[in-house]
Amino acid sequence: MNIKRTLAVVIAGGALVGQTVRADDSDELKALKQEIDALDQKVRILERNGELDKDAAAEKAKTVPLIKLDGSGFTFSSADTNFVTTLHGLIQFDNRTFFGDKNINGNDGFLLRRARPIFTGTLFHDFDYNFTPDFGGTSVQIFDAYLNYRAKPWLQFKAGKFKPPVGLENLQSDTVTAFNERSVVNDLIPGRDVGFQVWGDIAGGAFSYAVGVFNGVGDARNSANFDFEDNREIAARIFALPFKNTSIKALKGLGIGIAGTWGESSVTNVTGLPGTTGGSLGGYTTDGQQQFFAYNPATGSVVENGTHWRLSPQAYYYYGPFSLMAEYAVSDQQLSRVGPTPARADLQNTAWEVTGGWVLTGEDATYTGVTPRHNFDPKTGGWGAWQLVARYGQLDIDNNTFPLFANPASSATGLETYSVGLNWYLNRDITVKASYSHTDFTGGGKSAALTSPSVVTAHDEDVFFTRIQLSF
Amino acid sequence: MKNILKSGLLTVLAAGALSLAVITQASAKDVTLLNVSYDPTRELYADFNKAFAAYWKQKTGDTVIINQSHNGSGKQARSVIEGLPADVVTLALAYDIDALNKNGNLVPADWQNRLPNNSSPYTSTIVFLVRKGNPKGIKDWDDLAKPGVSVVTPNPKTSGGARWNYLAAWAWASQKFNGDDAKIKAYISSLFNNVPVLDTGARGATTTFVQRGIGDVLIAWENEAYLSLKESGTNEFEIVNPSLSILAEPPVTWVDRVVKRHGTAEVAKAYLEYLYTPEGQDIAARNFYRPRLQEVADKYKSQFPDIKLVTIDFFGGWGKAQAAHFADGGTFDQIYKPK
Repeated sequence: MNIKRTLAVVIAGGALVGQTVRADDSDELKALKQEIDALDQKVRILERNGELDKDAAAEKAKTVPLIKLDGSGFTFSSADTNFVTTLHGLIQFDNRTFFGDKNINGNDGFLLRRARPIFTGTLFHDFDYNFTPDFGGTSVQIFDAYLNYRAKPWLQFKAGKFKPPVGLENLQSDTVTAFNERSVVNDLIPGRDVGFQVWGDIAGGAFSYAVGVFNGVGDARNSANFDFEDNREIAARIFALPFKNTSIKALKGLGIGIAGTWGESSVTNVTGLPGTTGGSLGGYTTDGQQQFFAYNPATGSVVENGTHWRLSPQAYYYYGPFSLMAEYAVSDQQLSRVGPTPARADLQNTAWEVTGGWVLTGEDATYTGVTPRHNFDPKTGGWGAWQLVARYGQLDIDNNTFPLFANPASSATGLETYSVGLNWYLNRDITVKASYSHTDFTGGGKSAALTSPSVVTAHDEDVFFTRIQLSF
Repeated sequence: MKNILKSGLLTVLAAGALSLAVITQASAKDVTLLNVSYDPTRELYADFNKAFAAYWKQKTGDTVIINQSHNGSGKQARSVIEGLPADVVTLALAYDIDALNKNGNLVPADWQNRLPNNSSPYTSTIVFLVRKGNPKGIKDWDDLAKPGVSVVTPNPKTSGGARWNYLAAWAWASQKFNGDDAKIKAYISSLFNNVPVLDTGARGATTTFVQRGIGDVLIAWENEAYLSLKESGTNEFEIVNPSLSILAEPPVTWVDRVVKRHGTAEVAKAYLEYLYTPEGQDIAARNFYRPRLQEVADKYKSQFPDIKLVTIDFFGGWGKAQAAHFADGGTFDQIYKPK
């Protein structure tokens, strides 16, 4: 064979083979490219759908209600926060033990002093509400039921049933009072009433005012939710923390104010007399919640008839662990005695108190309570916060009350009360209290009746209180 | 003497003019409007708002600030019903504005008669945006239902543009299949089977196609397609006009309840009326919306090709179209099952 031909055939054959291989590669590459493009599209689609799902989830989250549970209660809120409701709770489990009360039966014992589910909330950001029934005591009552509109911090409108703006200690939350029971000044202050109030805080709370019109209730009495007695009572209060916004730390916690009420009442109104837990007649109670004074003349019965006004200058001071609160109250009331020998008088009762406290563990004392730095937890060495408290109070009944409007043999003409106590704040929500209160009476105690106020004023009152409190 | 009098008079006149200027300036006020619009009108209203603000300032001395909200037309209507305080709405279709009347009487039932052309100052239509070179050979609606073709269109449940897209496809299919419902539905079903991503609005669909590089064809508002060409350059995309499309008439109106509360009735009405002026129409055309005013339409004639168009009357009006196709349980729900 010719070598040149052989070589030409070999070369031609190699070129042919090479061409076949390149054509196969090209098809395969094209197919691979298509596959890659398709996979690329799939990945892009997955990513884009992921983005859209995320956007949709974010949109949906805007409509999902919010639920929160913490030490301040159980809160439900709509996604747009136009509807917010918080469920709080208050349970106070007390013990009262009286010493040396020879002739008094049935005053020692445990009691559920307060048991309240508290519903608070805000609608459309500016409308606050509060509904608080109470299951403690002997019957279920509505304590608070009101709506408050916050037009501005300095201009707010409140309507419903709530505490009129009068007593400093009375306006303090039930959960943070220094002692189990408020001082004798509260004997002369109205309890919860139904009405309408305009109020506000100015300069970040450095000055506050409140003025309202209410049905009008007797001293220490809570309104029965209605009172169709035609007359109304005006209540007003101003309170200032003049150094709140200054740099004088030692005086930032100084607050002073004055409050008062004025109203008229008709002769048929018995709810205008003081409320009492100790007996069947209107009157006043001790720290131990026993009636020491009653409108119990020998003949006839007493009703409010005419003008009733009150005035209460008040102040507090908080600085670090130190606290001091002082209040004075005068309740001036026109009364009538109805019966065989009618009588009429304008009687003025007065009371004052001063309460001091010291948080032994160093936390700050405030008007709104003590928050422990370290919650009680023996495992971590936390013991909560401990506070020592002491109080002195006096209440004087107008001498002109006797004998036409009250029996001097059974009702005291006044009292002095001394109290000391120790409060243990385990955490923000649980508090344990223990206190001792001694009360000396002036007058009374000469009647043989075994009912209040006779039996109460026959001896000094000595009572030991304890309380276990849950509030959230 | 005469010169003194003349000087005195001129001085008084000058002082009076200055006082008037000061008083006018002192009494000039700021007005804010909220325009709740559908998805792709961002650029249009960015230009238009500037022009209107300048016009209003010159006319009244007042400063008008227009805030914009954009999203799918249906979503926007629901937002206004639920309280979004729109002074004006500029939505994709009349049905969405009718909803403002039916739910809360935010606009009167005869709102569409308050402005010319059924309150539709500009129109648009539906076209196809494809990749440069049209690699999948998209020519008409039937190509969109073929296997291997990936179609991008938004969700008709939320997007007004998507509803126009759907109805344009249905109108073509109705012609192609001589009104045979089963075949039309089969076609629409095949088309939506080719849709890998369902955005909530037209702008989202454009993002999917243009920026995310997904799909072979975007069924788009004509204005949106031209805007994409303008922004991305003609090296990436091209427009294919279908043989048949639909005349989309996006309407506008002021929201009576809101403008009464805000005290903005006068400026809101003037704002929408300005869309009909030569300047307003020119702005619309520059943003690729088909103007109503003949003189402006003539000026931009070469920009907008002639396409055979049906109107919403083909479907018996928006009420019937919505009820038949887009309401819960309607044809779209029957055809489209999310993957």
